[in-house]
This record gives sequence, structure tokens and C-alpha cells, in this order.
Amino acid sequence: MAVRLRFEDVREGDELPVRSLFLSKDQVRAYARAAGQWSPRFTDDEGARREGLPGMIAPGNMSMGLLASFLEAWAGPGTLRRLGTTFRGLVLPDRTIRLCAAVTQKEKASHSIELDVWLEGDEGERWVLGTATLALA
Amino acid sequence: MPLALDPAIIGQEFDRSVEGPVTAEELVAFARALGETHPVYTEPGPGLVAHPTYCVRFRGGRFYPESILKLIDVRSGFDAGKDIQLGEPIRPGDTIEVRSTVHEVYEKTGRTGSMVFVVIRYTLTNQRGETLAVVDNRFMHR
Repeated sequence: MAVRLRFEDVREGDELPVRSLFLSKDQVRAYARAAGQWSPRFTDDEGARREGLPGMIAPGNMSMGLLASFLEAWAGPGTLRRLGTTFRGLVLPDRTIRLCAAVTQKEKASHSIELDVWLEGDEGERWVLGTATLALA
Repeated sequence: MPLALDPAIIGQEFDRSVEGPVTAEELVAFARALGETHPVYTEPGPGLVAHPTYCVRFRGGRFYPESILKLIDVRSGFDAGKDIQLGEPIRPGDTIEVRSTVHEVYEKTGRTGSMVFVVIRYTLTNQRGETLAVVDNRFMHR
């Protein structure tokens, strides 16, 4: 049975350890294939430029997926109950991105916590912003 | 209500379609493409479930109702964000019914001019009638 983070072990204001990862073009293509989003803007620089983009980009859904995995790596699989995101900027592959989150609220009755979550670039520019709810043990 | 839309459109279901059955291979490929390593998402077997964001790949059979398509060029749109509420996990063998409704239409004026946002709500249920997810997808049109 998977281990879940305990409600008692979390405090409002806690920041999760930041996860840095290099997002490669091949990983974006693998996601586009697996997610049924095989489109030039997600798979090919030239095709993306023809659509007016600076090069191929990662799907917003992929950013959500990375954030969801990041949260559950911390709290345990099956803990994510809600995730809301705003796609503010283009996430371009072949660079390092950072996944970040902080606990904003604890709900004792439901043993759930609220978090601010975001995906940022190397220089701290926040390309995806959101909030999440996790149900803890 | 921005555009010349009948407010009665809000909340109306405009598409209902069934997809699947979902396979274990699809679920594993999706999770691995995200770099996921937890066995509950990556190892085929009785315990395998879909990664929590797998639900966003279900978008029904029609993008918008006709009344919106008459007013908006879909190709002008960007995916502006999503809210997902998770219910029961998606499992291999599930067939997914997707009900699409217009949840909200609103206008915003920013530095670059006015933008119209269309929020489509996808409600996903499995073959047992259990709710799997409610996904609100915000599309932005300039």
C-alpha cells in the first residue's frame, strides 16, 4: 500500500522541495503521442513556427501532469483531489524547468490541504500558475 | 454576455460521446511520458490506475456548440487553463462517457485588447455511472 503524507506532518506555509528537471523535446513528443495531442506545435520546431510560435512547445496539459506528479511524489499517489491551472506563458522544451508548491491552508475536518503551485523557468518566470487540493492520511 | 449569445446556452449539454475501453498500455505510456515512476501508474496489473491528469485527454466529439462556432473561429483559440476535480480513478477496461456543456463565457480586456473566454465543462463517468472527473477547460480567443 502506498504511503501517504500525514495531515499532522504538514504546516501552513510549508514549501515543498523544488524539483528541477530538464524538459527535452523527446519527452514532449512522447507526451504528445501518449496524450493524443500529436500536433506540429508540440512535435516539430518548423511546424510550430508555421503556426507563429517561436518553436515547439509543451502542451499545457503536460505542465499540469508534471505538477500533479510533483505533488504526489511528495504526498503519495492518489492524494490529488483537485488541480486548477492557468497557462500564462509558453513552456519551451530543451531547457530546465522548476516545479514549485507551498501549503496555503489546512482543513482539519476533511484532512485536506490547499496549495499554490507553479511551474517556472530558469530565471523564475512563472509560466503556469495554479492551486491544488490534496487529501492526506 | 459577450458576443451575440443566448444566455440560455450556459449549462446546456451540447455533446455526449463514449470513448474507450481504456487499455493498460495507454495508461502506462501516459504516466511514463510524464516521468512518473510510481508502480500504481506504471505497472500493469490489478492495481494499475490512470495518472490523475489522464482525464484531460477526453474532449468529447464536438469542440463547441454550433451557436459558438458561428461567432468564433476555433483556430484563433489558445488553451488558457484547466480545473480538474477528481472522482474515482480511471482503470484499464473502463469506457468513458464524456458530457460537454458550456459552463461560462466571459470577456476580458487586457493590454493587447479584448479577449473572449469560453469555459467548456467535461463530465466523465465510467460504465458503472461513477464520476471520474469534472474538467473545466478555459479557451481564450482574441
